[in-house]
Amino acid sequence: MAEKKAVESKSKDDLRIGVYVCHCGLNIAGSVDVAEVAKFAAKLAGVVLAQDNRYMCSDQGQAGIKNDIKEHRLNRVVVASCSPRLHEPTFRKACEEAGLNKYLFEMANIREHCSWVHLYDRKAATEKAKDLVKMAVAKAALLEPAAEVEVPITRQTLVIGGGVAGIQAALDLADTGYKVFLVEKEPSIGGMMARIDKTFPTMDCSICILAPKMSDAAHHPNIELLTNAEVSGVKGYIGNFHVKVLKKPRYVAEDCSACGECAKVCPVVAPNEFDVGLATRHGIYTPFAQAVPSTYIIDMNLCLNKNGVIVCDKCMKACERQVINFEMKPETVELEVGTVIVATGADVFDPSGLPHYGYGKYANVITSLEFERLINAGGPSGGHLLRPSDKQMPKSVAFVQCVGSRSDRNGKLYCSNVCCMNTIKDSLLIKEHWPETEIYVFYVDIRASGKGFEDLYKRARKVGAKFIRGLPAEIVEDRKTHNLWLIGENTLQKERYEVNVEMAILSIGLEARKDSEVIQRLLTLSRNQDGFFLEAHPKLRPVDAATGGVFFAGCAEGPKDIKDSVTQASAAAARAGILMAQGKVTVEAIMPITFPEKCKACGLCVKVCPYNAIILDEDKKRVEIIEAACGGCGTCSAECAFGALTQKHFTDDQINAQIDAVTEEEPEKKIVAFCCNWCSYAAADFAGVSRMQYPPNVRIIRTMCSGRVSPRMVERAFARGAGAVMVAGCHLGDCHYINANYQTQKRVERLWKKMEASGLSKDRLQLLWASAAEGERVASKVYEMKPILEKVSREEIEKAKKVFEKSLGEG
Amino acid sequence: MPERIKHAPLDKDKVKQPMGEIHLIKDQCKGCGYCIEFCPKKVLEESDEINARGVHPPRVAHEDDCIMCGFCTAVCPDFAIFVVEKPQSVGKMEVKGGKHD
Repeated sequence: MAEKKAVESKSKDDLRIGVYVCHCGLNIAGSVDVAEVAKFAAKLAGVVLAQDNRYMCSDQGQAGIKNDIKEHRLNRVVVASCSPRLHEPTFRKACEEAGLNKYLFEMANIREHCSWVHLYDRKAATEKAKDLVKMAVAKAALLEPAAEVEVPITRQTLVIGGGVAGIQAALDLADTGYKVFLVEKEPSIGGMMARIDKTFPTMDCSICILAPKMSDAAHHPNIELLTNAEVSGVKGYIGNFHVKVLKKPRYVAEDCSACGECAKVCPVVAPNEFDVGLATRHGIYTPFAQAVPSTYIIDMNLCLNKNGVIVCDKCMKACERQVINFEMKPETVELEVGTVIVATGADVFDPSGLPHYGYGKYANVITSLEFERLINAGGPSGGHLLRPSDKQMPKSVAFVQCVGSRSDRNGKLYCSNVCCMNTIKDSLLIKEHWPETEIYVFYVDIRASGKGFEDLYKRARKVGAKFIRGLPAEIVEDRKTHNLWLIGENTLQKERYEVNVEMAILSIGLEARKDSEVIQRLLTLSRNQDGFFLEAHPKLRPVDAATGGVFFAGCAEGPKDIKDSVTQASAAAARAGILMAQGKVTVEAIMPITFPEKCKACGLCVKVCPYNAIILDEDKKRVEIIEAACGGCGTCSAECAFGALTQKHFTDDQINAQIDAVTEEEPEKKIVAFCCNWCSYAAADFAGVSRMQYPPNVRIIRTMCSGRVSPRMVERAFARGAGAVMVAGCHLGDCHYINANYQTQKRVERLWKKMEASGLSKDRLQLLWASAAEGERVASKVYEMKPILEKVSREEIEKAKKVFEKSLGEG
Repeated sequence: MPERIKHAPLDKDKVKQPMGEIHLIKDQCKGCGYCIEFCPKKVLEESDEINARGVHPPRVAHEDDCIMCGFCTAVCPDFAIFVVEKPQSVGKMEVKGGKHD
């Protein structure tokens, strides 16, 4: 402690901190007295300048900082404004331009974490803002300049998913001159678009416009196609990903001429998944005529030849080129890429869970995807509209909208974006070929907001499709004719309808891939409450993942139509291209620094490091950090009991200074919260953006990972009399740093045990898992902790102080 | 493709699948059980009867399932089993099956 004090007092003498409090128009000034906060900041130790400004992020605001750095010789800058997740880079840049190392800048989040969440309590919000500024100044006083490491970027990209988005992204990057690996799980690229008959609003034949792109992708010298393959492992970081791809065997070599003689003799038959089971395929097959690659494939679940025993050799005998080989084994391909584009697409909603629509029970209730195959000239019926029960053409059809969408009871809450236009397109297609067919569309709202969409809607109504507002409550089948009765309420005319049709088409929504979790874990991504991948910023970085070097294209990020998917794919390609064109990336200087003289070579830090970035040198009794491999979570620093490791820019001293600032006045009324940058801090930001109101007694300290929070920090907060402490991180399994938050859990559990053993209520230490989209969880946790804080007695605070002071003294 | 298959294929009644008629020469069988073991469609099973060689020859249990791969003939060490193609052979495919089932 003595040593630390010396450092502090030395630096305090020549500290020149500038504090800027932003009004953000009325966003902050509306519920925080910014002038008072600035006045308060001016009195803090080391502060030589404090002012308030209407918009700090404006050019004029930034120019002020630059000017003051020169004029007032500022050597630390604190801006109290919005979330550092939004504008830290802006202000860091301003500091750098004025010649101040960017690691000497600190931010106080008085918008998302204060003014927006305490809209109606100006006094409390102002007090909280003062605290937040005080914490930032306390940390700023201890900031150290740091140099960033430059890492070269491998100029190759991995595109996961070979639908139209993946193909577009791959082609754009390949045309720019970068090598692309396009990985597709299915035997052919093409994705959902290949299965659709026509596209809206132009009524282009879907496969006709897609097939040339598929072929381009297959023949592009810069694209390597890996079909029937799945990404099985990803290691590394932005610019340097080591990817493992498991290539499953096709049992047919690539020089297959796709003559199809083998399929003719194959004795086993099964429903073709590509046609949603409406057509058959053989054990050796190609999913559809335009498949790329056109190479046939053997479905080993169906083939008679199992475990290397060749029972049936009919295909081999029929194959002129002798390309069938049952000896093929799965192989793992290892790739080195600099960027990754996730274009994994979406699944369709399964309506068999909605018994009132009778899908799966009544033959003539089909899904819109099955309809696409039915009306497709290349599909099972050769493009003749027919209904499954008698294979006759239906004279009347009904479309039921929002199946699985916009309902929390019957599917998903969100609007699936494409189904309205898809139905309008389908009804026009039917009317075009068979004008006599009666068409009913049962809808909630028709959403035709794209370019040319309203025209198409008007055309559909003009040709006689009847749009009825109000979904059927029930579909009932006439057992003799297999016709269907749709019964419900017309909500515009407030009357009951009973409509008899020969076929009903359920317009099913899109949902996140059921196996999204795999990619999520491999690339440490986040997903929103609907299950789709979460972008880094919903407005300004819509195709970037929070993980550096990873981008999204297509439905993986949310339901969208073909045009939007293609647009986003090109955007993702451009974003990845920008990185690769620069050729190098700077890694934030947040890796650990070691103090070898304190190291006992116990190896605990090596064990908890999720990146294997620490090597223990047993002879020299010290550890070595591989900076390029370090992810920057800081869990090693939290694990070290000897203070031999600490994370740059999030040092023990800096975090302790923040804790001390919070607990200086009325600590018993406050919650000291530790939130990780990626999930829980972002969740608190989201609560702010959504204006969720919660009690103003919480003070959030940002760490990169909850794994950075050492037990000694929690103990310190209690020892200084904090009313309660909250540790918040990403959900287990969703950690941005692979698995560092499991350490958080362990540490908190240990603390709970200790509290219980010392006769303290463990309620005062709360653990919260919240994803970036779960602002609600943060807000309700703070609500939940309010009574705990009110209940805690003077004696309990004193007791905790004693217990933890003692244990800190021992440590 | 992960969709659950709910409707039977439209060409279910047109798909041709070979059908075999299985002939056993029971007394030639020495009861090794290879044909039962290796039949990919599990068409055969052991019978209770005892043949001239004092063993249980196989019995055709599910002849409809036979798709005439001819492997039983190939593995039989005693040339005691052979398959002849039956003429009728449409519409017997199983709707279930395939990769995702």
